[in-house]
Amino acid sequence: MSLMGQQPHSEAIGYSFPQSTNAPIKEHSFYPYTDNGGSTLGITGADFAILAGDTRSVAGYNINSRYAPKVFKIGGDDETGDGAHIILSVVGFAADGQALKERLDAVVKMYKYQHGKPMSVRACAQRLSTILYQKRFFPYYVHAILAGLDEEGKGALYSYDPVGSYEREQCRAAGSAASLIMPFLDNQVNFKNQYIPGSGEGHALESKKPEPLPRETVEQIVRDAFTSAVERHIEVGDGLQLMVITEKGIEEIYTPLKKD
Amino acid sequence: MNHYPEVWGRPRDDVYGSYNPSYLQTSGPKTHTQSPAVTGTSVIAVKFNGGVAIAADNLASYGSLARFTDVKRLRIFGDSAVVGFGGDVSDMQYIDRLLESIDIRENYSAHGNTLNAKNLHTYLSKVFYKRRSEFNPLWNHILVAGFDENKNPFLSSADLLGTTYSAPHLATGFGAHLAIPILRRLFPEETPIEKISKEEAEAALRECLKVLWYRDARSLDQYSVAVITSDGIEVKENQQIEAQSWAFAESIKGYGAQVN
Amino acid sequence: MTSIGTGYDLSNSVFSPDGRNFQVEYAAKAVENGGTAIGIRCKDGVVLAVEKTITSKLLKPGANNRIATVDRHVGIVTAGLVPDGRHFVSRARDEASSWRSVYKSPIPISALSNRLGSYVQAYTLYSSVRPFGVTAIVGGWDSEAELAVDGQVGSGPRSGSGGKVDGAQTGGPGLYMIEPSGLYWGYYGAATGKGRQAAKAELEKLDLSSGNLNLVDAVKEAARIIYVAHEDSKDKEFELEMSWISTLEGPTKGRHEAVPQQLLQEAERAAKRALEGDDEEEEEAKANEGEQMEE
Repeated sequence: MSLMGQQPHSEAIGYSFPQSTNAPIKEHSFYPYTDNGGSTLGITGADFAILAGDTRSVAGYNINSRYAPKVFKIGGDDETGDGAHIILSVVGFAADGQALKERLDAVVKMYKYQHGKPMSVRACAQRLSTILYQKRFFPYYVHAILAGLDEEGKGALYSYDPVGSYEREQCRAAGSAASLIMPFLDNQVNFKNQYIPGSGEGHALESKKPEPLPRETVEQIVRDAFTSAVERHIEVGDGLQLMVITEKGIEEIYTPLKKD
Repeated sequence: MNHYPEVWGRPRDDVYGSYNPSYLQTSGPKTHTQSPAVTGTSVIAVKFNGGVAIAADNLASYGSLARFTDVKRLRIFGDSAVVGFGGDVSDMQYIDRLLESIDIRENYSAHGNTLNAKNLHTYLSKVFYKRRSEFNPLWNHILVAGFDENKNPFLSSADLLGTTYSAPHLATGFGAHLAIPILRRLFPEETPIEKISKEEAEAALRECLKVLWYRDARSLDQYSVAVITSDGIEVKENQQIEAQSWAFAESIKGYGAQVN
Repeated sequence: MTSIGTGYDLSNSVFSPDGRNFQVEYAAKAVENGGTAIGIRCKDGVVLAVEKTITSKLLKPGANNRIATVDRHVGIVTAGLVPDGRHFVSRARDEASSWRSVYKSPIPISALSNRLGSYVQAYTLYSSVRPFGVTAIVGGWDSEAELAVDGQVGSGPRSGSGGKVDGAQTGGPGLYMIEPSGLYWGYYGAATGKGRQAAKAELEKLDLSSGNLNLVDAVKEAARIIYVAHEDSKDKEFELEMSWISTLEGPTKGRHEAVPQQLLQEAERAAKRALEGDDEEEEEAKANEGEQMEE
């Protein structure tokens, strides 16, 4: 063997033995999120709160299902949700939404078992923020809205960003048609750009003061918001799921929307 | 021969050039599946009066290669649930073994396996969600068919992200584009499933598979159908798409070398 | 008891000068007090049966099973300390499932028995543990058909290399008995517990090695033997529990299942009838003896 031993032992020899490589770090091509579309909306009144969402679930241009609820009762009985006094809507990545809903549901139940009293909406709102923030670096990709009645029996509504920043509000639209619905809500609920006729000229013109709206009006605003969103957004449609929380409990209403 | 046993039997560097050690990564980031390898295409299913019918072809593709042509992608669980798998075949086999071990454990008790299709779907969707959250997904899109706790027909979907949705008819992969429109035309969603007979449902699936065979390049004309009723599961494997007509092909012009 | 006071019986892992491990022998004594358990192996399946003594009238009839399913095709019945039996079964289940995860196929009965034998034997070696207070009967059916690997998707080549071999014979019934020492043998008929002597005598009469007994008849024989064995030690009330494993074509399709209620009751009735018949014969014999004595 003429070649035998000719090759000096260089660092190139190593083969199956551990050695560092210069191989480029592989790019992760798995993306753990998807957008299931749809929109949600919440409005409060003096003694009630309403959460609504369309029931379409999409994947790209496909409609997965025409009935996939986005509004859930939190802390009630397992199957029916009876006895709940808090409602949650989630829109965005449906699997995260489902996981978030189940976690909050478990938390509210545990609170009741451990403290012997139902969790206040305010405490629940803070807890939801914590849950979202705990996953700050791998977030639940959802826009959540939480609703219930506060300690004084007034409608309470909290809206969240995916990492837990939250705020109590009168009304909020979330999801794919949020940008279509929110300006409508600003005008119709908070009376933005509405003035008292004849109250003055130019800057002296007096704004119309917002005040809590009656339930019938709010329900109509919700329906109008969604029928309009359905016209202009392809990911919104099929059905409207409405949950109204009052002193008497939670009422769920389903009405069809256009399926095109 | 030299003093370095690790090079014995390896191609000689002076003849073949030095070995690229980047193929032998022993350090560096831990990597997970970033794309599926051997895959199955569509699974389609429809609910009917008293049950669910589900079908998938017998092909496992390796990219564009029709790699395995006798693959059973419908998997039976217990005595009243069927899981139809699209996507990676090795992950399907893993899940199949997982289900097998659950079935064995359930049968330790005298009452046997009491998990219904709905329980199974909930479980599998959580397996998928957990794995996607670990950035180590099981690369499948599945349909689970069977009954719920009230003995009503149950059909639901789960995918590699943990996304779930349910509808009277469902399809994964190409079927979502090609089969769903056919099923929606045959069985409009507003008509109750009680109006759909077992025979109609099965015939519709066969028709859909034929369309998929014509237009999905990664499909096969051999397939399996399972019909789940309260009497049990009837599985027909090695079915053949009948009455194919390629007459339409003659009228297709403008592809490849053919100009007019 | 020659062991008492010698000190050689106080610790496991210590031999007496004449080569005995007394702790193991005491464990065997614990088994001798347990309800009789038997297993019968026939050509088309295996039957397990146990005499479940009713320790309290407050126990629910038909509940608190003593025969356990270990894998789809294996069942185990134990005689002796019930909690030891439970742990033993739990280990058997782990072995069966770990076999599946390695080999992607059901564990052969012989392999399971071997592993369990080794496990039990290990509990005779250390002073920190005591031996199992059970004798276990492992019964099962190794599939006679060529089994798909767990999770297998295709059916393999239809002909040629790697194709199917026609007429290959595999599988069949398996029955093993594992004792507290770790000793295990394969049996045609196995018996342990309080009434083992009577049961063994009855089993021997069945001529099991000839392969003439079928599974359904074996179920009836098993019921009868448990009744006979109970008769011998006549004490508390008992409940009969039975399970079986048949061929793939048979009633359980190769699975380990409880014997159906109808067949169980039928077997029990037949057992009681057979026993009453025996009693009458015995009484007649006694009467005859008495007459002869008078003469």
